[in-house]
Amino acid sequence: MAKRILITDDALFMRVTLKNILTQHGYEVVGEAQNGTEAVKLFQQLRPDLVTMDITMPEMDGIAALKEIKAIDSEAVVVMCTAMGQKNMVVDAIQAGAKDFIVKPFQPDRVLEAVSKLLAA
Amino acid sequence: MKVAYINPFVQASVSVLKTLVGKTPLPGRISARPEIFTTNDVNIVCGVTGDVYGHVLYGMTAETADRIASAMLGETVAEFDQLAASAISELGNIVSGNSLTMLSEKGFMCDISPPTIIEGTNVKIASIDIPVLVIPIDIDDIGSLEIIVCLKHKEASVSKSA
Repeated sequence: MAKRILITDDALFMRVTLKNILTQHGYEVVGEAQNGTEAVKLFQQLRPDLVTMDITMPEMDGIAALKEIKAIDSEAVVVMCTAMGQKNMVVDAIQAGAKDFIVKPFQPDRVLEAVSKLLAA
Repeated sequence: MKVAYINPFVQASVSVLKTLVGKTPLPGRISARPEIFTTNDVNIVCGVTGDVYGHVLYGMTAETADRIASAMLGETVAEFDQLAASAISELGNIVSGNSLTMLSEKGFMCDISPPTIIEGTNVKIASIDIPVLVIPIDIDDIGSLEIIVCLKHKEASVSKSA
C-alpha cells in the first residue's frame, strides 16, 4: 500500500510542486493544509505516515503546528520544508521532534531522499 | 542602510533564481530611492521583523511575471491565475528566507511574514523613515526584476534618540 503523506504549505505553488514530486514516485498525498491549524486538524483526521511542514504561514506557524502534532502522536514523522534556514529555527524544529529540515529552493531528489529514508522502516 | 543588509539579498536572489528559473541572473548597480515607490505591474511584498525590520519588495512587469511563473511551473502560463501568482509569491518568500538566513550568520536574527502580492502600477508604500535601496536583476530571455530593500537595524533607532 502506498505511504500516505500530508502536505502543509500556504503557497499553492509549493503544494502542487510537492504533490507532483511525491505522487510521481508512488506516494499518496492524502491531504493538503494551508496553515498550521489546518495541518493539526488534518493530521488528527487522516493519521498520515508523514507530514511536510512549512514554517512561515498565517494562522499557526509550522513550529507551533509541529509541537501540536507531536502532542497528539509522539511517533508522528514531520519533515520541515521552509525558506528559512537559520540555525536557531533548525535547532527549534529538531528539538520539537522534526525528523528532517529541507531548505527551499530544493531539488526533487532532496525531498525524495528524505521521505524514502524516513518511510523505509 | 548598511551594505551588510543588502549583500545577502543580491547573493540569495542570484542563487534562488538560478535554481527556480534555471537561468543565471545578472545583478546590476544598486541605487538609493527616497521612498518605497514602484512602477512595476506585479509586486511581491515581504515583511521583515526582528533585529533588522522593514519590507522587501520584488517588482516586475506582467510579462516577466508570466515568464518566471512559466519557468517555475514547467509549463507556459497562459493567464496570470492563482497558481502563477502563488509561484511568484513563493519566489519572493524563498529569496527573503534565504537572505535572512545569510543575515542570521552575520548575527542579525529576523523572521518574515507570508508574502502579499500587489498588482497595479504606481504603488507607493509609506515607509517609516527607512532608507530604500534598489537592486536591479536581469535574467536572459525572462526580463528584469527590481528588488527594493527597505530595512533598518533596530538598535540604530534607539541610539539615534539617545
